[in-house]
Amino acid sequence: MFINWALQEINLKIVFYGPGMSGKTTNLEHIHQKLDPSLTGDLVSLKTKEDRTIFFDFMQIEVGRIKGKKPKFNLYTVPGQVYYASSRKVILNGVDGIVFVADSQPHRMEANIETLLDLEGNLKQDGHSLDNFPWVIQFNKRDLPGAESMEVLQKRLNFFNVPSFPGVAVKGEGVFDTLKSVINLVVQNVQNQL
Amino acid sequence: MVQTKKLKDGSRQVILTGKQYDVIKKVLSELATKTKASAILFADMSGQLISQRGSTEGMNTTVLSALAASDFAATSEMAKLVGEEAKFKLLFHEGEKRNVYLSNVGDNFFLVVVFDVSVTLGLIRIYTKKAISDLNSALEEAGDEPELGSIIDSDFSTLLGNALDDTFK
Repeated sequence: MFINWALQEINLKIVFYGPGMSGKTTNLEHIHQKLDPSLTGDLVSLKTKEDRTIFFDFMQIEVGRIKGKKPKFNLYTVPGQVYYASSRKVILNGVDGIVFVADSQPHRMEANIETLLDLEGNLKQDGHSLDNFPWVIQFNKRDLPGAESMEVLQKRLNFFNVPSFPGVAVKGEGVFDTLKSVINLVVQNVQNQL
Repeated sequence: MVQTKKLKDGSRQVILTGKQYDVIKKVLSELATKTKASAILFADMSGQLISQRGSTEGMNTTVLSALAASDFAATSEMAKLVGEEAKFKLLFHEGEKRNVYLSNVGDNFFLVVVFDVSVTLGLIRIYTKKAISDLNSALEEAGDEPELGSIIDSDFSTLLGNALDDTFK
């Protein structure tokens, strides 16, 4: 969190984390597309030729002034592919809240778990831990035939019982609920620590 | 000192006071005048733009800061891989019309200087070095530190929640 007292700005960094092709970039694309252009900046994507995120996607959103303060949210995604491990680590620098975008397809369960462990490992290096850090889960791709049941996903992935949301990011379902929830958690977290 | 708090969960909270912000603006203006740089940005290592000077119209400086911070982060990983124990202190990108000079300011901040190829790198280096030392002193100075509790109270979170509902309608 970065606060510029002179400009009364409060800046929060939210990172979308998850395995490759789980829909992290799609979440940002939906937010970018739906929000009033006056509240959102450009969506920058560093992608490979194959349209996979190589470094990160970034966009900033605003919600106007609140009690004279101007909150700004910097949204980042990380590349999901296993071999981009260092990119994921560096993007977590200064993170205030995390959205874990899980893939609901049964054959991606291992990838979800592996990425969650990778996240925990990266957070630990910065002195964070998943059991006391503000984060939420989005179980994405609920519309796909054969998607794993919510019950199984909760049991296997949500072991800290954080807020979770079913999502169909390509249609925008669950996208804003997830984002709102993580922002609320970050703000609550700040209050709890005062 | 810039108020930097480590919260219980490990997250970092940085608060910049009005006085520090004024000094930063002044240092950047001086650097812009002396180097004739096209644009100068001062940002936080997490990618947060703090202040900018020069002809930045038409330049998306929010994104530029995010990219520059990642540039630093990526090169510090590179440093580890090649056996350099410290972080690389400066990065230089050479173009046909414009060059970009990036230098860290302490561990948590950095400067981006965008300049025309007609300006010599030596000049940029000398004045940037001075600016960095001025910025470091300003950041180390004690400020009237505002209480975070006066910024984010329970009222604030309710109002923010309502604002998010309106925005995400």
